[in-house]
Amino acid sequence: MDSRRLQLLHDIMALEFVAIELTLYLDTHPTEQEPLNDYNLVTERLNQLKAQYERMYGPLVSYGFSPSEYPWRWIEDPWPWEIQF
Amino acid sequence: MTTPEKTPEQEIKAAAADATPAAHTTAFYPPLRLAQAYVPPQRYGRTYSPAEALEKGTLFPELYSPYPY
Repeated sequence: MDSRRLQLLHDIMALEFVAIELTLYLDTHPTEQEPLNDYNLVTERLNQLKAQYERMYGPLVSYGFSPSEYPWRWIEDPWPWEIQF
Repeated sequence: MTTPEKTPEQEIKAAAADATPAAHTTAFYPPLRLAQAYVPPQRYGRTYSPAEALEKGTLFPELYSPYPY
């Protein structure tokens, strides 16, 4: 796994974690505008990164989350435990 | 005839003596209130950068508490 792909994967993981944290915060503070804006920024940026990753390296999540080009490469991608973070 | 001034321990013992065990307790307890939790509301302030948040396990500096090991 080349370092560029690993870095992109790491950024996606970090942003997903931030989205989870902001979701939890907003669950208990639904009326606050600032965290809501941050949440929207993070999700937008996260989807951009995911789209970029999937264009270059194939689907991140299978089972209908995103289309795959030919040939089917889901089985070729490294398993999570094969990735040295 | 004024009753002698009761010490706090005696008062609890007296109260415990006639207080029947409350429904929720199996053993016999002195008449104590159940716990009441209080969680101060969190304010939205400074947050870690995404990479640092992933590393530290939280987005909020005020919630970061590593176990000293």
